[in-house]
Amino acid sequence: MSGKKIYFYYGRKALGFILSMAVLSFVVFYIARLAPGDALVSYYGERAEKMTPAERAFAEERLGLRAPVFVQYIRWAKGAIQGDFGISYKYKMDVMEVIRGRIGNTLILGGIGFILIFVLALFLGILCAWYEDRFPDRMICKIGIVTSCIPEFWLSLVLILIFAVYLRILPSSGAYTAGREGEIGDRILHLVLPMAIVVTGHLWYYAFMIRNKILEEVRADYVLLAKAKGLSKCKIMFGQCLRNVMPAYLSIMAISIPHIMGGTYIIETVFSYPGIGTLSYESARFKDYNLLMVLCMISGGVVILCNMAAQTINEQIDPRIRPGRENETSEVEGFGG
Amino acid sequence: MSTIEELLEIRNLSVSFDTPAGEVKAVRSASFSLKKGEILAIVGESGCGKSVLCKSIMKLLPGNARIKEGRILANGTDVTRYRERDMRKLRGNFFSMIFQDPMTTLNPTIPVGEQIAEAVAVHYKGQKRGKGQGKNLPMKKEDIYRRVIELMELVGIKQPKERYELYPYHFSGGMRQRLVMAIALAGEPQILFADEPTTALDVTIQTQILDLLCEIQRKLGMAAILVSHDLGVVARAADRVAVMYAGKIVEIGRAEEIFYDPRHPYTWGLMRSLPIFARPDEELYTIPGMPPNLLKMPRGDAFACRNEFALAIDYKEEPPMFQISDTHYAATWLLDMRSPKVESPLTGLGTFAPNGYRQIYIRKSLSEQRTAGKEGENGDKVILDVQHLTHQFKLGKKTVIPAVNDISFQIRKGEVFGLVGESGCGKSTVARCVMNIYRPAGGKILYQGINICDKEQVKANRRLLEASRQLIFQDAASSLNQRMKVSRIIEEPMRIHHIKTPRGSYHKEAEFQMKYVGMDASYLSKYPPELSGGMRQRVAIARALSMEPELLVADEPIASLDVSIQAQIINLFKHLQKEHGFTFLFIAHDLSVVRYLCDRVGVMYQGRLVEEAKTEDLFKTPVHPYTKALLSAIPIPDPRLEKDRKSPDFDEIKWPEKGEMVEVGPMHFVLKNA
Repeated sequence: MSGKKIYFYYGRKALGFILSMAVLSFVVFYIARLAPGDALVSYYGERAEKMTPAERAFAEERLGLRAPVFVQYIRWAKGAIQGDFGISYKYKMDVMEVIRGRIGNTLILGGIGFILIFVLALFLGILCAWYEDRFPDRMICKIGIVTSCIPEFWLSLVLILIFAVYLRILPSSGAYTAGREGEIGDRILHLVLPMAIVVTGHLWYYAFMIRNKILEEVRADYVLLAKAKGLSKCKIMFGQCLRNVMPAYLSIMAISIPHIMGGTYIIETVFSYPGIGTLSYESARFKDYNLLMVLCMISGGVVILCNMAAQTINEQIDPRIRPGRENETSEVEGFGG
Repeated sequence: MSTIEELLEIRNLSVSFDTPAGEVKAVRSASFSLKKGEILAIVGESGCGKSVLCKSIMKLLPGNARIKEGRILANGTDVTRYRERDMRKLRGNFFSMIFQDPMTTLNPTIPVGEQIAEAVAVHYKGQKRGKGQGKNLPMKKEDIYRRVIELMELVGIKQPKERYELYPYHFSGGMRQRLVMAIALAGEPQILFADEPTTALDVTIQTQILDLLCEIQRKLGMAAILVSHDLGVVARAADRVAVMYAGKIVEIGRAEEIFYDPRHPYTWGLMRSLPIFARPDEELYTIPGMPPNLLKMPRGDAFACRNEFALAIDYKEEPPMFQISDTHYAATWLLDMRSPKVESPLTGLGTFAPNGYRQIYIRKSLSEQRTAGKEGENGDKVILDVQHLTHQFKLGKKTVIPAVNDISFQIRKGEVFGLVGESGCGKSTVARCVMNIYRPAGGKILYQGINICDKEQVKANRRLLEASRQLIFQDAASSLNQRMKVSRIIEEPMRIHHIKTPRGSYHKEAEFQMKYVGMDASYLSKYPPELSGGMRQRVAIARALSMEPELLVADEPIASLDVSIQAQIINLFKHLQKEHGFTFLFIAHDLSVVRYLCDRVGVMYQGRLVEEAKTEDLFKTPVHPYTKALLSAIPIPDPRLEKDRKSPDFDEIKWPEKGEMVEVGPMHFVLKNA
């Protein structure tokens, strides 16, 4: 692939990203304003209900809520492009400031959870495929089916009951114990329960996918040839089958990032974990428009970026769909003869 | 211990599959031996256990298969109870295997050179261990690379260094089969199993691959086991032949003995059902009935109920192997001293001329009879007139592949027009243009005087066009909706067109069509997966017939069927044509079928029609070099003839880009290169 083509290729992708973000921001902006509720409540709290119409008009004017929605959007977009996303009505400070304080927690929970899921699913899937229909495979499959049938919130409550209430070995909520902020040991203790829930919630889906994909490959003809040439089971499994499964797995995992992040939002609420999940919930409920916008843009951006990453990974790994190969001459094969 | 000459000896080998429905006896006490440098062919219909036999020797079968009894001796050592680890040392080094479909046997995501290198590396390791040297030094990278290049050259891949890094999708089917062969040969095996190595390939490449296989086998002094259902292929390559039926070897002997003096009724049946043996004025022979269910084996001889020479004892006891000569054995009660003498039905079938054309019957062919009788009746009513048809496929923005290039031909009423050529030559594209599936890029197609390339005219005559042209596909399994009952499948076109049925109801009509194609009406309530391949094709034909079409376009309708079932379907086509005067556009790559069925034949090559003539003329006096090469590429089931025949060289034939059709004889046109 020539250099010029690469620029063109990635340029087109970047343009697509920017366009989708613009459309997303407008839609979210508009829908948020269509939804019922009073934005002033989040700014003035209970006071908002006792305001006189004049006071109310003044407050709305101050927050820029009187203009038509489209004008409001233009105003917002102008600011956003310059990096000014406005202030949070509830926290009365810059939106980015609010998010900065919380996003790290979510990234730790979701990120470590994602890595754990990625590795464990691969391990369990290979294990199952290796011992197909034998004891380990059957056991893992049964455990997986049962666990994935239990709703996350219920499992969280049960785990809190067992480990935090009866055994008292793990904390039930928060990111740190009061007064021990910044200690790594304390942080890990607080992570154990939510992490367990995040992982068990998603792990099985991907583990089974790996298992079935590998088994599909194992039945392919080329595995027979590999066997016939004398390769060992280990080499066939890792060198041939897994290699063909990885593109699909990587791209599904890339798409799964927003999915797993979404899962942490619920868990954050259950464990009162100070992440952006709780924040988004609050901002949507209390119409903290500016905060809501940025949070939506972040999640939306993650979704779009992950999908693009999935596509790129696929193209890089599978030689048949690698970009820039269209004009390469291949031997003419049958086209429906 | 047997003699050293005997590389492989199989004694009473029985292999069974454990399935939820019960035990499937795929191989039943098979015994044979293989000498050094010998090619043994195993023939039989699909499902007779030939592949299973090979795979069970290499222990490549899935987990639910097990060797029930018998012994496998490799070089005199019993390997029957070898564990996976020990088998691995034998695989690739002692025996190796190539498979039917080269499109799926190579890993699509690994460069081909690396795939061969893997096999080379494994072999080298195994050798070291075998010699008992403590040091397990890995082979040097350069050495492996050199060996891979050597192997690629051995199997006839030009410019191996440039092609080392390419992926399998860059290669055509024939080239891929060569690569698979290179992988199989990496460990210098003593025995090569070839499981239908040419079946998935074009006729034009088939002989090349087969000759390469024989050449390498001779050069390296290997022994080979060739599994095939094509008796022509077997005749070309095999020293000895084993015929399998229902998991049993029913006859085994030297190739000459099997081909010239077969003794088992099943071998007779196999030979007789070949279209190449048939006289054009009579029906093709078909073996009656179906192969037995391997789950519930009948008592006695498994072939008894399909055997026209069956004796009473056949239904009670299985026949033992009778010895006919030192090398020739057959399992049939007919060879018992007490049984009546039966003359082989094959005697008197005549011999082949070197071009594969049976000489005795040239004088009296069906098409000549027909043209003599019918010319007056139908006049020369042209049903389909294709004029300068051109079609292209676009790949990407700039690349254009000319699929069909300036083709003209006419089909008259009641005529069977055959279109032959290798895959990718544009035959199917022509069919699809005729069926209005593709819009041709240039040229005209007149169907009964209606220009079907013209949208207005098509709109005005939609009813007529849609009902009176019907298409039959190659793969009946995928051209029938799996979730629809057979009755609905057949009735659907009638319902769509609200046809007034002559027999009252749609259902009655469907019943009639089923009987017409030779199936029982009770099959109407079944689903396609419950039917066999031949039955499914019959249903597809019944569906086409329910519209009472005038023109039937059959796109390789028998290519995916077994030999004996092929014969049944060909007979059905012949019957339809003879009794009802359907007009056919018959697309095929099997020339013996075309010769048997068609009145006129067009030969296509690289999107051009290179020759068009009456079937007789084309087979007797082919003019274009491509036609000549194509005709001589058909393997003939006659070992003496076939072994000495040179395979045609297709590389020398020029791409017919420009040129005009020139008449060289009555109704005989050839493309002359400009």
